[in-house]
Amino acid sequence: MARVTLQDVTKRYGDTVAVDRVSAEIADGEFVTLLGPSGCGKTTTLRMIAGLVELTSGHIRFDDQLMDNVPTHKRNIGLAFQSHALFPHMSVAKNIAFGLTNRRAPRAEVQAKVEEMLDMIEMTGMGDRMPSQLSGGQQQRVALARMLATDPRVLLFDEPLSALDRNLRDTLKYSILELQRRTKKTAIYVTHDQSEAFAISDRIMVMNQGRVEQAGTQLDIYLRPETEFVANFVGDNNTLQGTVRAIEPGTDGIREVVVDCSGMTVRAIAPADLAAGDAVSVFVRPEHIEVLPDGSREGQDGVLRGKIVQLVFEGPTLRMTIDADGVPLHVSVSGTERLALLDQANASVWVELRNPSVVKNPPAV
Amino acid sequence: MSETTAIGGPSRFRSSGRWLTSGLQHAYIWLWMALFVLPFLTTVYRSLEDPKGGYSFEGYRFAFGSFQDALILSLQTTIVTIVLNILISIPAAYAIVRYPIPGKRTILAALNVSLYTPGAVMGLSLSLLFAYRLSSIQGSFWALVAAYVVGTFPLMLIPVIVALRDLPTVFGEAARTLGAGRWRTLLRVEIPLLGPGITAGILLTFVIVFNEFLVTLFIAGKGNQTAALTIYNILARAGFAPSTAALASIMQFTSFVVVLLFFKVFGSRYLKGTYLG
Ligand SMILES: Nc1ncnc2c1ncn2[C@@H]1O[C@H](COP(=O)(O)OP(=O)(O)OP(=O)(O)O)[C@@H](O)[C@H]1O
Ligand SMILES: [Mg+2]
Repeated sequence: MARVTLQDVTKRYGDTVAVDRVSAEIADGEFVTLLGPSGCGKTTTLRMIAGLVELTSGHIRFDDQLMDNVPTHKRNIGLAFQSHALFPHMSVAKNIAFGLTNRRAPRAEVQAKVEEMLDMIEMTGMGDRMPSQLSGGQQQRVALARMLATDPRVLLFDEPLSALDRNLRDTLKYSILELQRRTKKTAIYVTHDQSEAFAISDRIMVMNQGRVEQAGTQLDIYLRPETEFVANFVGDNNTLQGTVRAIEPGTDGIREVVVDCSGMTVRAIAPADLAAGDAVSVFVRPEHIEVLPDGSREGQDGVLRGKIVQLVFEGPTLRMTIDADGVPLHVSVSGTERLALLDQANASVWVELRNPSVVKNPPAV
Repeated sequence: MSETTAIGGPSRFRSSGRWLTSGLQHAYIWLWMALFVLPFLTTVYRSLEDPKGGYSFEGYRFAFGSFQDALILSLQTTIVTIVLNILISIPAAYAIVRYPIPGKRTILAALNVSLYTPGAVMGLSLSLLFAYRLSSIQGSFWALVAAYVVGTFPLMLIPVIVALRDLPTVFGEAARTLGAGRWRTLLRVEIPLLGPGITAGILLTFVIVFNEFLVTLFIAGKGNQTAALTIYNILARAGFAPSTAALASIMQFTSFVVVLLFFKVFGSRYLKGTYLG
């Protein structure tokens, strides 16, 4: 319904910078997640888009319309709160109708819309209940119906599921995605839960200390983290230190970086800002480290030798710590080959690091 | 069967012991109830005495006949005071709770001064004020109302402040995202949710203002005798009469009924806390 543009959006509370020069463009109909640790400024960003928090500086646009001086009630948005925030003194039907009556919609139209919404959330005939007479999941569904009833331009979600139990969360997150797909509305969803973000987003914006560290698809974020924070916040990672030997034009015209690292050579897709001689961190995910059957590939790129110092069988996965010349590597194996490794504690093995990613180290301060 | 008989004796003994304890407990409660109600019962009893001997409702007929105006005035001043208290307290509570005002505590303490001021002091200051500066309303209906509002608005303000502090801001925010402007948010969402505070304030204001006597004594004009003041005046001038007792009983009864009605109407909805449930 609307493209949302943030331009150097900043919010300061006294000396605290809650949101620091965030710029982003969220396409019409896109589902974007703001993902980040507690206190990183997700809620503040969302509330600025809703008009509930004033910007210290910067601009927000819906399509080409500047929203800076548009009050919340004229923005035509829908906001889902962490607590469902249903009006406790109004019935379910009155809650759903609230937005429409604010616009003085004719009574018949309001009634028809309420019925339609109740059908949509599969709560037909429950319009007369009070919110306190509903289960947690039903309350959150009514809250969704209430926010969709006015046909808003932008849907905003502030951890709407975090107060619910796990099963409910799993079903409801797909209901939310389904509703967004059906209505083709722009959606911005705040969460600190990675699996939630990965499950429902078109694009994820990872935030840290008020800044957007990286914005991209799930694959971008997972396989090609651009900062150390993203590499460590999203999933698990092993960090190795290395030095850039060369940048080479690799296959398909994608530049490759060659890194000397712990006595071996690692190749990865080169980020734009690297040059030979740079100190870098090399990140490898535990599930991207493969235990090789023998030492025949020793000396090849990404292959090194180590000793299994710890083995933890967790059922579906086997977690190992492998000591490679004093560098501890965390490895997780989940195929059937994990069973063959069970009795290999203290054995010497060869491993191959796959899909490494390289990030230039920040200048020492 | 035989077992039952075997333990029948001691159990009957024990239950008579229980009867005694419970009887004492009841007697204790009834004793205090009687002490509390005794003045009221005495008044009712005396109000039923007929000056010509025997008992009748003559006193009540006379009270309704000649004190009707006083009773109506009492009700009118009470209702207008309640309305004004609400109109003053809601904006004041918002200012105090939701906005950063320097010296909040001091302001709040200052606002409550009238609650701790002795009635006679209050009455005297007000009568001086009306005499020197506000002679246009001196002795009028509005002088009474002004005095009551000054004296009782903290009784409305404090419960509203407490209710507003407990009211999460999320409801107002939700209303605004749904397109409700400031007034609609206030009228449709926030004030209904402040209901418990407001109704508590109404009850307190009613009980105090309807029965107010001391301040009224200082400032009421000739034509503006409230019911409570009338009782005092008659007693002071003409001594006891059954009709005065009847008026007193009527006032007592009105207060009682209002409080009962209040709990019946609002008690279940607000005071028991279905809100936020
Ligand atoms: N009203 C406020 N006054 C002062 N500081 C605030 C205010 N609101 C937020 N902050 C600060 O701004 C920063 C960002 O807060 P925000 O609520 O946006 O974080 P968040 O990413 O939503 O965290 P969480 O996951 O815990 O909800 C925090 O350091 C917080 O303490
Ligand atoms: Mg938050």
